[in-house]
Formats: sequence, structure tokens, C-alpha cells
Amino acid sequence: MRALTANRLTDGEVVFWKQGQWVERFADAELFAPDDAEAEAAEAHAKNQITLVVEPYLIDLMESEGLWAPVSYRERIRALGPTNLNHGKQEEGGAFVEALLHASGAARSKGRVDLIRRK
Amino acid sequence: MPTRIRLLNGAFALVEDPFTTVDDDTAIPPGDVIISLTRFQAEGERLLAECRKVGVRLESHEEVEALTYDLPRLAVVALVFPKFLDGRAYTYARLLRERFGFKGEVRAVGDVLREEAGYMLRCGFDAFVPADGSTPEDWDRATHRFRHVYQRSVDGRSPAYVERGE
Amino acid sequence: MYQYDTLDKEFLADRSAEFRGQVARRLAGELNEDQFKRLRLMNGLYLQLHAYMLRVAIPYGSLNPTQLRKLAWIARTYDKGYGHFTTRTNLQLHWIKLADAPDIMDHLVSVDMHAIQTSGNCIRNVSADPYAGATAEEIDDPRVWAEAIRQWSTVHPEFTFLARKFKIAVTASPKDRTAAKTHDIGLHLKRARDGSLGFEVMVGGGLGRMPHIAPTIREFLPANRLLSYLEAILRIYNRQGRRDNIHKARIKIVVASLGVEEFARQVEAEWEKIGTAPDLPDTELARIRGAFAPKTFEILPAVSEALEAARAAEPAFARFARNNLKPHKQPGYGIVEVSLKAIGETPGDATSEQMEAVADLAERYGQNDIRVTHEQNLVLPHVKLDDAPAVWKALAAVGLATPNMNLVSDIIACPGLDYCALANARAISVAQNIAAKFADQDRAELVGELKIKISGCINACGHHHVGHIGILGVDKKGEEFYQLTLGGSGAEDAAVGQALGPALPYDRVAGAVDTLVDVYLRERKDGERFLDTFRRTGVAPFKEAVYADAN
Repeated sequence: MRALTANRLTDGEVVFWKQGQWVERFADAELFAPDDAEAEAAEAHAKNQITLVVEPYLIDLMESEGLWAPVSYRERIRALGPTNLNHGKQEEGGAFVEALLHASGAARSKGRVDLIRRK
Repeated sequence: MPTRIRLLNGAFALVEDPFTTVDDDTAIPPGDVIISLTRFQAEGERLLAECRKVGVRLESHEEVEALTYDLPRLAVVALVFPKFLDGRAYTYARLLRERFGFKGEVRAVGDVLREEAGYMLRCGFDAFVPADGSTPEDWDRATHRFRHVYQRSVDGRSPAYVERGE
Repeated sequence: MYQYDTLDKEFLADRSAEFRGQVARRLAGELNEDQFKRLRLMNGLYLQLHAYMLRVAIPYGSLNPTQLRKLAWIARTYDKGYGHFTTRTNLQLHWIKLADAPDIMDHLVSVDMHAIQTSGNCIRNVSADPYAGATAEEIDDPRVWAEAIRQWSTVHPEFTFLARKFKIAVTASPKDRTAAKTHDIGLHLKRARDGSLGFEVMVGGGLGRMPHIAPTIREFLPANRLLSYLEAILRIYNRQGRRDNIHKARIKIVVASLGVEEFARQVEAEWEKIGTAPDLPDTELARIRGAFAPKTFEILPAVSEALEAARAAEPAFARFARNNLKPHKQPGYGIVEVSLKAIGETPGDATSEQMEAVADLAERYGQNDIRVTHEQNLVLPHVKLDDAPAVWKALAAVGLATPNMNLVSDIIACPGLDYCALANARAISVAQNIAAKFADQDRAELVGELKIKISGCINACGHHHVGHIGILGVDKKGEEFYQLTLGGSGAEDAAVGQALGPALPYDRVAGAVDTLVDVYLRERKDGERFLDTFRRTGVAPFKEAVYADAN
């Protein structure tokens, strides 16, 4: 599956796309099937929302403990907060946060590669 | 007729540009022209003999010293900013004014943005073809943003250490 | 300490007003992100993983208590109550909102601070010896010259759009605490036989993808000709710095490709043409020098009875004094190093409460003077030895008395993948894991001076190339791996470290460092530091031990 993410313009908060809205929790993100063209449509739409978000891009997800987690380690840190202090999004706790914390076997880091290419 | 922002007696104004900027593949039209350094080196003598005004467009990778001999005969040196980030033209402008004593127009062309107005003015540019649709008013505001400067430069402003002594 | 006058203050106010206008245009959609990004970067505002990051400039690492308290207040009000001191002696705030940034900038301006030129391809915040004005080693106060450079480089009309960033350091001691030779320009103040001051000028150092130790291009530059000479170097660089390849854009590549002699020749030729116009008049130099006039010190005995009594009574204080109290030029005074490397904490981080505690101590015991070091610690440069026990107690109360200066747990680490948009791997937690292995202070002291430096990517903000042990985070198919280098140094004996072997996975790094230390303890001869032993033995015994472990 895939999700659409960005940073919110006004405060830089990590946000995820959910049916035309931007939400703060990864657990609330809309999931797109790998071949779902809606994902690209949402990304294109988001790129025009220049007063709402910065640099929207799609990330790949993988299954972890029956839930979805970003494939790349970087995206997990974005979804959770920094690992040195427990004061990012992970502060809230819950099943999704636990699943992300335990997700292992980080594989491809497509999220970051895309972002770097975009700069 | 195209225009450019001109600094005249300390004021910015949008004025008509009597010069035609000609690329290397186009036949030279009558009247005043701005041409590349390469073309100037090949055809400059002939054009100047025709009693028209000639300007040279200098790319950021070209050496400003290539112009020193001809400067007294040039009306314009147009310094190209291929990207605003490429700051070589600031050095060329300063050298044209401070070292080679060029009195003609030093024009900023290319990726020319109002945010850089202050830097350009301080380095000796006096004509600007902005890429961001900015107006003479924008340029006037941008160049008066700072009440003080810290270095001597072409514009003759007193740096902080001189102001302090006054 | 230099006090900003009306001109400096008005300049900062104008800059802040300009920034406020730019943010407003961005929020209103008049500027898109591409157009805005470079403007916010010119004011040290980055967009990182979780939020905006504001990098506040701390010119030559010098702070007064009012400034540090304001930073603490900003961190508490607009951030999550802490800040991160960097290897450029700046302070990064990692949880900033764009909408708050103009107000934060105004608050900074109210205490003569700003974020000008903490990013972008310009002359960055100038650094100087954190012991300036306090150490007996120095022949003159390097801050005088650092302040001259600060002013000269601020919104320089010609040199704000260079091929790449540009860093300058000034030191005046034989012992280099600025990593001068890793800078684009390193300036080492010297005194000639006739008593006149001058600089040894080193150009073309730098870390990053291609590390270089700066060669000397001039042995002695008359000090009052500094700015014209800098102008000549910068002009050569602005013209010849490569703009076609970001990885080859630093001045080190110009110096290396021209050769040191030819580069020096071009600089001298340009300098001759420039003349003296950019140089400061003697009156202005005298004005700046006056601001750094020596503090008034009491006449005290060299040995403090109070200190010796506390040393005898409190083993913990004795340990602190042994490691964190350094000699001062004035009898009866000492330089107190405040470690931001408590075991298990984030290197370089300080909470608002800790910043306020240090500000209080500087006010009460430290002549209102605080320094930031490139090794991410703080310094109280002028403390009476009699007061050292009280300072220690107050530091300990806020977790700032870790007695580990220059020891194995005094680790440099960049923010890495936990915060930074450029990082490939984490650096902070690697530092935490290593420090945990050396939590036993007796063992750490037994090991002695050992500088570990960790970067989360090849940009090398963590100076890994010049660590006695350097650690570089790399990405291998989405997983964090770490390349170790040995034998680097950022000090006067500067050298680039040598690769140990294949990169190690995250969970093997701390163990590998432990092994390296064991090899050193086994191999070392009388008085040798880790670095000395490595230089004598070469990489072989270390390599063998680490990779034997792997099998």
C-alpha cells in the first residue's frame, strides 16, 4: 500500500492525506493500493495546495503486526518522532504507534530517495 | 519596445530599452545592439565603426578581463545571472566599476530577482531586467531596506565603521 | 564582550522586518516554496523531518547571560523546551512553527542576536577559540578579529552567492580548539619578532565528501590587512569555485586543482590590486579591541584553599576538577567546561532550565561570559577557583557536571536522521549507546583523551573525518550502517581518519568502539593517547580485532 505525506506549511507538522484533508496521525492516513491511480491524482492535487503543505510525496508501506508501516526508516521516524526523545507523535501511544516502533526489516528507502531527487 | 529598470540619479524608473539583444544565430538588425562576447570579438570592430551603440552580454563563466581593452567604446555590459545562486556577476560588476572604471550601463539580466536588488546596487549595477515582474517601486524599497552597511563597495555608502566615527 | 551599538541594532531590526515580510508573502501564497526556501534559508530557517528548524547564530561562540536566558525562553515558549548546540557553535531549535518565526526573530534581535548567514552559500558564522581572553596560551584575543570578520561578512554585497558555503575560524593559541584546519579559511594569529601581529593563513580545509586539511598559503599576513586579504581569497573563490558540481564546489577543490602555490600566487596578485580599501582603520580596530578589553581580575593566590579542601572532601568534585577545570591565565582563576554530554543524553542538547542555570552561574561567578565550543559543550571562561566547588554543585543540580571533557563519552554527534532532512542514519542514539559503554568514569579516565565524532551523512556536520574514531552513517537499502575511521584529528595535528573496514550495522557500532578501546589499552605505551597509539601501530591491530569479532 501507499500513503501521501507532506509537511504542513504553517508549522512544519508531518501530515498525511485522508480523502482531501490533511491529518496528523499516520494511523488516520488514507491507504492507496500500489496500482491505484488515485494516489498520483491526490499527489498532483496536493502539489497545488501551496498555502497548505510543502513537498507532498507518496511513500510505500509494508505490513507489520497486521498493521501498515512505512517501508523506509526515515518515514517511520517522520510518522513517530525522533528516537532520542519521546516527544514527537509517538507520545500518544496506541496500537499503530506500537506497530511502527516494532516494525523491522526496513527495506527500500523510496520515500527519502524521492524527496532528495525533488530538491 | 522592451523596457528595463534604470537607476538614474538615485531613483529607479521603468524606461524603454533602445538596445536589441541579439543572439548568435540572428542577423544583426539596425540600431543599438547587445551581443555575446564571442560575437563581439568577431564583429565588434565593424559594428562600432557603423556609429551605433554596442553592448556586450557576458555569461557568468566568461572572464570580464576580456573586455578591458574595449570598455571605453562599450555602452552596456549586460551580466548574466543564469540562476540567482550564481553570484559571479557581482564580482564582475565590482571589477568593471572599481578596477576598470567603466562608466556605461551595467545591466543585470537572467534570473534577476528583487531580493537581490540591494546586493546588485552595491556592486555597481544600474540597470535591471527583472525575471519576477517586480517594479521600480519594489526595487526602490528593496535597496532602502537596510539603514546601514558594513563594507565599502561601489555605491559609495559609508560603512558602519565610518558612520561610527562621524 | 562586544556590545552592539545603535548601528548594529538597527541593522538587525531591518533584517528582521525584511524576514517578516517574506514570511507573510509565503503564508499568503505570493511566494511558492521554491521562491521562499532560499529566503528562509538565508535566515537559518530549515524545514526538517518533524517541523521547521531555526539555526540561531552565535558569533564566535560568545554569549552573555541575557542572551542565553532569552534562548532558553524562546525554546520554552516556541519549541519543546530545549535547544541543540552545533559544531558551528550555533544553537538549533528543532520544533519551530513558520508562523512564529518572525516573532522569534524579533525576540532574538531584542538581545542582539539573529540567524543571518547560518545557511546558504555565503560566509557562515565565524568561529574562534572558546578560551579566548582566558587562556595563557594565546598571544592576542582572537575575538577582536572574529568580530571584524563578522561585520565585514554580514550581508556582503559581493560574496553572498558563492559556489558553496564558506567557513572561517580564528585562533591565537598553539593548541587549536577551533578545528581551524578543517575550515575554508583557518586563521592562526602569531606575533612576529618585532612584536607585530599577523596571521598564518590556511585555505582549503573542509570535510564533507572530500575531506581536506587546509594548507598554509601565507605564513604571516600583517593583522591589519586581514580584510583585504580575505576579500582577495573570496574573490578568487567566487570566480573559480565550481558551479557545475555541488560536490566539488568548495574552495578546497579550487586550491587542490590549482595547487597551493598557484592559488597563493593568484591571491597575492588580487590582493595587490585590491589595495587597502577594505581594511579597517586603526580607530575601528581599537574600538573593537576595547570591547574585549581584559576583565578585571582580583589578585589571588595561584592555589585556592577552598578548592583544595573541596577536592579532598568530595571525590566527585575532585574528578570534575581533574577533567573539566582548565588553567586560566590569571592566578586563582580557572576555565570551567560545562559538559553537554551527560551519559544517555543527546550530545549538544540543553534544556531551557539548564541554559538558565548556566546563565545564572555566569552572572554570579563567571563575569557574565559564556562560550560555546565546536565540540558541543559550554564554557564558563572566568571562574575563581574559590568558587569552583559552588559552580560544580549548581551544575550537578541540573545535570551539567558530567566530568568527561575530551574523554570517550564526550562525543560529537549531529542531529542525524532523528531530525535532519539530509541524514542517512541516526547519530544521536549511536552516541548514546557508546557513552553507555563508558559510563564508568574510572574506565573512561583510564582510556584518557579519545575524540569520537559521528555524522549521520556525508555532509559531515559531526566532523567524523577528524575524529580519533570517526563514525559515518550510511544507508544500505534502507538500513542504517556505519563506516568507522581511525586516526583523524581536528586539532593542531589535524589529519583525516583512515577507514577501518566494511560498514557495520547499527547494533554493532558501540561494541566495535569498545573493542577498539580494548586494542588501544593493550597496545599503548607510556603516555600515549589513542591517537598516538594508532599513529604508531597503524590500522592493522584495530581492524583485526573488530572484524575478528564479527566472525
